[in-house]
Amino acid sequence: MKILLMGHPNVGKSVFFNRLTGANVTESNYPGTTVDYTKGWMKIEGEDVELIDVPGTFSLDPKDRAEEVAVAMLHESKDVRVISVIDASKIERGLYLAMEILEEGYPLVIALNMRDVAEDKNIVIDAGKLEWILGVPVVSTVAIAGEGIKELVSRIREAKPVDVADITANTASTADAAAGTAGGEV
Amino acid sequence: MKLSPEERWDLIDRISRETVSFGAYRHTLKDAIGELTIKPMTGIPIAIAVMYGFWSVFGSFAGFFTDGFFVRLFDAYWLPWLQEVFPGQGRFLYTIMVDAGGIDSGEFVLSSNCLESFGVLTSGLFVAIGIVLPAILIFYLTLALLEDIGYMPRLAVLIDTMLHKIGLHGYAIVPTILSLGCNVPGVAATRILETKKQRFIMMTLLAIFIPCGAQIGIMQDVVPDLMGWILLYLIIGYFIFGYILNKVIPGMAPEFLIDVPPYRRPMLSNIGKKVFGRVKGFFVVAIPFVMLGCAIVGVLYQFGVIRFLGDLLAPIFVGWFGVPAETAGPLIAAFLRKDLAVAQLSVIEMTKYQMITSVVLVSIYFPCVATFAMMLKEGWKELIGALAVLAVTVFAYGGLIHLIGILLGVA
Amino acid sequence: MEKELAMMDYDEQGTITEIEKDLRTRVAGMGIRVGKKLRMVTKQPIKGPVDVIVDGAETSLGLDMAEKITVDVV
Repeated sequence: MKILLMGHPNVGKSVFFNRLTGANVTESNYPGTTVDYTKGWMKIEGEDVELIDVPGTFSLDPKDRAEEVAVAMLHESKDVRVISVIDASKIERGLYLAMEILEEGYPLVIALNMRDVAEDKNIVIDAGKLEWILGVPVVSTVAIAGEGIKELVSRIREAKPVDVADITANTASTADAAAGTAGGEV
Repeated sequence: MKLSPEERWDLIDRISRETVSFGAYRHTLKDAIGELTIKPMTGIPIAIAVMYGFWSVFGSFAGFFTDGFFVRLFDAYWLPWLQEVFPGQGRFLYTIMVDAGGIDSGEFVLSSNCLESFGVLTSGLFVAIGIVLPAILIFYLTLALLEDIGYMPRLAVLIDTMLHKIGLHGYAIVPTILSLGCNVPGVAATRILETKKQRFIMMTLLAIFIPCGAQIGIMQDVVPDLMGWILLYLIIGYFIFGYILNKVIPGMAPEFLIDVPPYRRPMLSNIGKKVFGRVKGFFVVAIPFVMLGCAIVGVLYQFGVIRFLGDLLAPIFVGWFGVPAETAGPLIAAFLRKDLAVAQLSVIEMTKYQMITSVVLVSIYFPCVATFAMMLKEGWKELIGALAVLAVTVFAYGGLIHLIGILLGVA
Repeated sequence: MEKELAMMDYDEQGTITEIEKDLRTRVAGMGIRVGKKLRMVTKQPIKGPVDVIVDGAETSLGLDMAEKITVDVV
């Protein structure tokens, strides 16, 4: 099993990487390019698992060389799980990339990072409900402070592929439920 | 199941409506500073001030350590001690490793400083540690600070218009500035450019016109009063040849599209890590090259190869570039070590114009071997193309500078 | 009133009503899409890029792109 850390640039991916891995970190060039990426090992329930810090990308439709490499690294890896790191204060565009990865059938865990920044901006996210709708683990984190890292590690094994149709169905049912309670109050 | 962007956004909007509440947003001081540094009226003066500050910090820090400490350490203690204890004065190994010396009124004399001795253990070590180390350290430290604060994307936005004229876009400022430290990470950073055409233009310009920290450090040390002119010629060349390359090379130059992240407080550990990594990377690459280059240049001098080539090519240097015949040796040695070549040039008697021209020539021709290897990673076709451009550029630009000199009446 | 993003004034706000098809996928990852509120922060002189804020995220786009985005300005 391999784990890929994916997300936009500047969402704290490398902070996660540094916190999750030990000393045995290597930096290498992606073959045939000048794009480098970092690779290390992390422990999940006592097992050593490879963790790769993929270059930051905004979507799976690459617009430059670094993004091309990010997409290629995802596509060529077998038996892989993805930690999708999202800037909680810009959650919607973060979910765009996460959705793209889910649509391609990769097992995913979401790290809603920079929760503190989002709170400063008065953005409140119901992580539990998000997890229920998406059907994948969603963990709130503040990576620089080390918050939520342990929970993230403990839930990587729960990552699983999801059918987009299920997500659509889930949003419909929560919307109905919301409409239902709203109707009841009148 | 794959969605179209529209369907995907629809779904995300629905998810977001169920799970996220956006409260009222207050404008913060950070936002205000963010806007001030990106609006042209305030942003451009600030950018100029930042760049000037960068340069001042670089110059004074590097000067402080090089002149105030390393020059004394190497010239007053290290060199005399080595000259004393290293066996076989005047012999081959001594000449290569310690001091090639000079001939003064028919007699062999030892050099008085580490820039003239040309030994691997003296000049080589002095350049690597005394000049390059402080320069590269302060350079990467300042740059890491600017990067981690989040200033670079704003600089990219401000300079986009200018770089567009040469087929690049604003983000090309990142590889350009990185190259001022070392061209190797500079070439690596071209990955943020979209097309092959852009990457080719960028790499070629970096290899030709952007002097690395080692060169800048040594220029700052031996020809400080000419720095302004030399850099001006290099910047002008960067834009002239960028403009030409953009016209000549087929391919697209896509539009600029970048994310401008908010400013944030830099993390000390992150900066430390970055600076350490880059300085280490530079040294692993640079030290062996400086030492080896120094040794090879020494050997070639000993066997008269450089003198031979110098005599052969001197007419071109004199006739086409307008520099004195004595510069032929250093200009040829510069194929291996640009920094040492600059040091050699600095002790030759010549006019200000000739000095500027010869230092500019050293800067623009032939990238260092490490850069060379890095460019090869992008493909050998690109590398050959870059070399062809390089050869043409050296002749055309060298000739142009000579012409300007003639017109100004200084050549 | 609808106008091109490229024609918007400093600090003007509005809702994106249309993005030309060839551009949609490229800007989608940056969170720029039809129906979103947008604020034009600044633009650079001599046909320079246009800076916008969408959903609290700041993006700078080349003028050619800004001409392909229509905004209903409030």
